[in-house]
Amino acid sequence: MIFPGLILALELSGQHDEDLAGRLQRREPDAMKDLYDRFGKLAYSVVLAIVRDASIAEDLVQETFLRVWNRIQAFEPGRGALGPWLVAIARNRAIDHVRSSSSKMDRNAFELDVREHPALFVDMQREVENTDHARIIRAAIKKLNPNQQKVIELAYYEGLSQTEMAERMGQPRGTIKTWVRAALGVLREELGQAAAA
Amino acid sequence: MTCEELRGEYGAWALGIADEPERSEIAAHLARECPECTAGVRSAMVTAAALSGAVTEGNPPRRLRRRIVSMVERKPKRSFAWLPWAVSAALAIALVSIAIPGRRDTQALLTQQQDMTKLKQALSILNDPAARDVTFGDPAALGRVFVSSTGVVLIAAHLPKIQDNQTFELWLLPGSGDPKPAGTFRGETISNSSSAVYVYQGSTATAVAVAVTVEPEGGSPQPTTTPFIVSKL
Repeated sequence: MIFPGLILALELSGQHDEDLAGRLQRREPDAMKDLYDRFGKLAYSVVLAIVRDASIAEDLVQETFLRVWNRIQAFEPGRGALGPWLVAIARNRAIDHVRSSSSKMDRNAFELDVREHPALFVDMQREVENTDHARIIRAAIKKLNPNQQKVIELAYYEGLSQTEMAERMGQPRGTIKTWVRAALGVLREELGQAAAA
Repeated sequence: MTCEELRGEYGAWALGIADEPERSEIAAHLARECPECTAGVRSAMVTAAALSGAVTEGNPPRRLRRRIVSMVERKPKRSFAWLPWAVSAALAIALVSIAIPGRRDTQALLTQQQDMTKLKQALSILNDPAARDVTFGDPAALGRVFVSSTGVVLIAAHLPKIQDNQTFELWLLPGSGDPKPAGTFRGETISNSSSAVYVYQGSTATAVAVAVTVEPEGGSPQPTTTPFIVSKL
């Protein structure tokens, strides 16, 4: 399940984001090649894991890169984390596709727009670079109990709201919220400890 | 809601799984640049981003890179000046026929609707920034084909003469395997030259080339003649 190559791509991103974002902002076509070479596989893997259809995944990844290209002017080259931003957009596209396919489209465009704003991805690499994320995330997930693992899986791969998870798992919403918070707390703590080490 | 009330939901919001009203409330706090919520959500975003490391590795096809890079490559502005005048005339006639007032009979209305639908489909494909376009030309036919992920627009002139019981058939050629039929069409004869504007709507994901053959009326499941147009994409 672990994907060291993907994490490596994220880690490396901090070293090159500033230069690459600047080239994208100057509309250098070769910058798009470099952006794809750096994050294309990662974005495709995330999208494919969610939509489980290679053809649809291609379309959504293409849409992701076009969105990054169109919104790059809002990115702060000195502070932003290009990889996490791009992956978040890719995942949002995939979750939206799955949800619209199953008639669960209830997120409004405004909220999605806010969640993809580059300002939310600044200073991220300071916390993530120079750490072995593959090992950390694997170890962190192993520390979750089965219920916590399940809610993280439903959240990340299906984008179910906590109310929907409660229905799916036959549990009170409060219990689901507790599991989600606890799971994210463990992951955050493990990542924080690694960054501090 | 206050920042304190929202604090416990930053992680769920970063993953896109927060419920209402917290979901909208956090979005609203961020939209007005609330410093506490912005800092809290940014921190939560780190955890959400890290989860991508647990994803099973996929292998994107090589064509995906081409598709993405081609979206932003500077191309000469598409000009239709190259179009043979016969094809331009055919398009103009189609557009005029759509616009003619007073054509009230059912068949005419149906034809107009079909023309309009065809036009919209063609424009949708032509306006796709990722659409690939290939010019072809040989003694048999000349023209241009536009291919997006959702369809094909074929514009061709000097098509070969065919019998009444024959038709042209478009094929999508995959990298391996059998050609995929993509519909039949006939040309329109203008000034002794047969031309056609044909629109196919459907996935072109596996196509590496398109081809056109002459087939018996109604089309064939697989080509029965040698293609007179083959355009590599």
